Amino acid sequence: MRRLNKDVIGALTVLAVLALAPLAAQSDYVTGILTVSLIFGIWAVSWDFMSGLSGRENFGHALFIGAGAYTAAFVDGKFDLSPWWGLPAGALVAVLFSLIVGFPTLRLRGPYFALAMLAAATIMQRLMRIFWQYTGGEEGIPGLDPLFDEPLSTYYFCLGALALVTAALLALARSSWGTILRAIRGDEAACQAAGINVTFYKIASLVISAACAGTGGALYADYQQAVTPDVFAVALSITIIIMVYVGGMGSIYGPMGGAIVLALLPEVLRGLGEYRLWVYSVILMFILFFSPDGLVAPLWRRLRGAP
Amino acid sequence: MTALLKVERVTKRFGGLVAVRDVSFELRPGEIAGILGPNGAGKTTLFNLLTGFIALDLGTVEFEGGSLAGLAPHRIVNRGLARTFQLCRPFRGMSVFENVVVGCLAPRVRRAGGTEARARRILDQVGLAAKAAVPVDALSYGDLRRLEIARALATNPKLLLLDEPFAGLGSSEIEPLSALIRRLHAEEGLTILIIEHKLREFMQLVQRVIAMDFGEVIAIGPPAEIVRHPRVVEAYIGRTEAPLGIA
Amino acid sequence: MFNILVYGAVTSAIYAMLAVGFTLIFGVARILNLAHGAFYGLGAYAAYVMTGPLHWPLPLAAVAAVLLVAGFGAAMERVLVRPLRQSALAVLMITLAVALIFEQGMFLLFGSEARNVPAFVTDTWTYSGLDISGQRLLTLAVGVLVLCLLYLFIQKTRAGAAILAISQDPEGAQYMGIPANRLYSLVMALSAGIAATAGVLTAPFLTVQPTMDLLPMVKAFAIVIVGGLGSIPGSILAALLLGYSETVVAYTVSPAWTEIVSLIAVLLTLILRPAGLLGKRAAF
Repeated sequence: MRRLNKDVIGALTVLAVLALAPLAAQSDYVTGILTVSLIFGIWAVSWDFMSGLSGRENFGHALFIGAGAYTAAFVDGKFDLSPWWGLPAGALVAVLFSLIVGFPTLRLRGPYFALAMLAAATIMQRLMRIFWQYTGGEEGIPGLDPLFDEPLSTYYFCLGALALVTAALLALARSSWGTILRAIRGDEAACQAAGINVTFYKIASLVISAACAGTGGALYADYQQAVTPDVFAVALSITIIIMVYVGGMGSIYGPMGGAIVLALLPEVLRGLGEYRLWVYSVILMFILFFSPDGLVAPLWRRLRGAP
Repeated sequence: MTALLKVERVTKRFGGLVAVRDVSFELRPGEIAGILGPNGAGKTTLFNLLTGFIALDLGTVEFEGGSLAGLAPHRIVNRGLARTFQLCRPFRGMSVFENVVVGCLAPRVRRAGGTEARARRILDQVGLAAKAAVPVDALSYGDLRRLEIARALATNPKLLLLDEPFAGLGSSEIEPLSALIRRLHAEEGLTILIIEHKLREFMQLVQRVIAMDFGEVIAIGPPAEIVRHPRVVEAYIGRTEAPLGIA
Repeated sequence: MFNILVYGAVTSAIYAMLAVGFTLIFGVARILNLAHGAFYGLGAYAAYVMTGPLHWPLPLAAVAAVLLVAGFGAAMERVLVRPLRQSALAVLMITLAVALIFEQGMFLLFGSEARNVPAFVTDTWTYSGLDISGQRLLTLAVGVLVLCLLYLFIQKTRAGAAILAISQDPEGAQYMGIPANRLYSLVMALSAGIAATAGVLTAPFLTVQPTMDLLPMVKAFAIVIVGGLGSIPGSILAALLLGYSETVVAYTVSPAWTEIVSLIAVLLTLILRPAGLLGKRAAF
């Protein structure tokens, strides 16, 4: 029980800091950057739930992000509906993609699943360029209506979304669902021999991960008020994986911290915008050699004290 | 008494090699039987066929009157047929307790509730209660074997298939494990089928032996008879393995 | 029709060079080297630096570039990969980091505009109405030569036999006294060198810019998956298949679709036959 209290206090503290940050900064620019970092948080947490727990690394998470983003763009831009419809629609289409790609690929082992997802995401990126009459090609679809007129409102909405997603996935991860996913990571065959329907859990976890990522994608489209094929890019998938690594794979809350830190880092180290990937790579190397369990989660565990 | 498990004319080919040929036998509820055979006799392949990890080419497998053909491994487990693996396969990165809990999450057992209490009870039964919080990566091989059995037990099986449970164990570890298996048989009323290729462990444990060689069943009978059966003796002496070692 | 034959062959040769190195290091050392594209890019950039600012003669620059990248590959294996070998994911991530650092590094040093590297052969030949640049033909010729040399090396030399042994059974080979670690460095050097050769040869007619490592990486991946991870003949076969398919698609449908060809091939292979055309295992 004591551990639960410390976790709750930690969570509320982080929530409070995030809630007050834009007010302290008093700048639309900063609020915007913080909003993006929150969305990265949603993406990182959703990746960690599926891949971090089960060990089935997914190198094409951008597939779900892009699906959500483009769906939101279509809903708003092409079908002229309220952008609010974009959120559930984006999640739904992302789920559809996860089912289409997930069923044939989840039975593949290790790197093959990762590469299949990467291929799928890259195919979608190319297709967006090829069918430019419908998708706007390289320029994408601009001029979308935002969910809110006030950047601050957008920020708090995203914060709420992030908090919700993190809490929900954390609860699932701590429940028997999480135990099963970790067992799948340990040994799939033995898991089957223990009577668990491994296929169901793998697919269901991918679906959940996709739904969250797709929603994040829709939020991103709304925030940018535009969508381009880069939303399917390999670089995005890999950035998210690096964020999860920094946060601490498998902890769910760690990746949230990792995402926010890495998304804000280029701004903090002013003028580093173009060097972003470089900085990430160096950080990644550092972590791989000196702190293979990541930074955020181990740090929190040490702060909190061993249970 | 109707058979718990009825295996009829089961055959499996891998390319040109016939790993299991025309194997038939029955298991009565509550008995401990053993499958004996030298390396390469097809014993583990047979287990894999019975438990759904490999598909049958020919033949039928009936458990409690229902066919197991084409069922996925986890469904077979939920019918009441559990197995252990020849090389221990624990869930790495998790504790002993969590390993057993996974077995308790099988739908067959989970519905009844009380997952954690059940896991603790099973750890007690196999003698691992003191090590519940230990990560499996730190366990000795003898303890890993107990864990394998505990996890299979967690699914509340009617029939337990043990694949070479004594392999890799030192002499001091074999007797306690043998005693555990006997205790489980008596206390839980389990039907048990053991694969072994070392006869000494068999003799005290099983009531009936199914001897295999080159994928075929060559003899079925009580241990004392099997040991003297000409084809069984030939299967063992005819190879460079150590003799049967009956003192 | 003749276009397709020739251009398909050139493309296949380039792909084969990229893929063979990649599959070699995987088959032997089980390393999924995400920096492989960077080796290709480094070869091209090294050639650029040596022929441009340094004014070295082209043949010298070419050889030096290849050797330099080969050395870099061996060093990367020794310093960055070897300490992390227990975790396949860590190795993946570190090679990824190297690839990213390459991209950023080249961007910082040389900017994002494409750079020029002079061609070995500046003539073009005309045959049945088609102009083929000599450089492309040279690439084809060198590609075939390199593959033959590699084959001979593996089949006929002691080091080659040792490499085969390690790829089949790493532990057993070590019991036989084969120094696995040194061989891994050697294989990485070979892999990097071959990729760099492709980079040096194609630099004159393909773009030299910081992001040049991505596409070859994706192609190498695709070919290796389709051919079978760890199988050199598989890679060559797949390189031919994909090289020609892409060329055919480029001529008959549209160049925009060519990249999708390999990606779809990868997806189909992974779904229908994960081991690839000639691969031996369907997973790690």
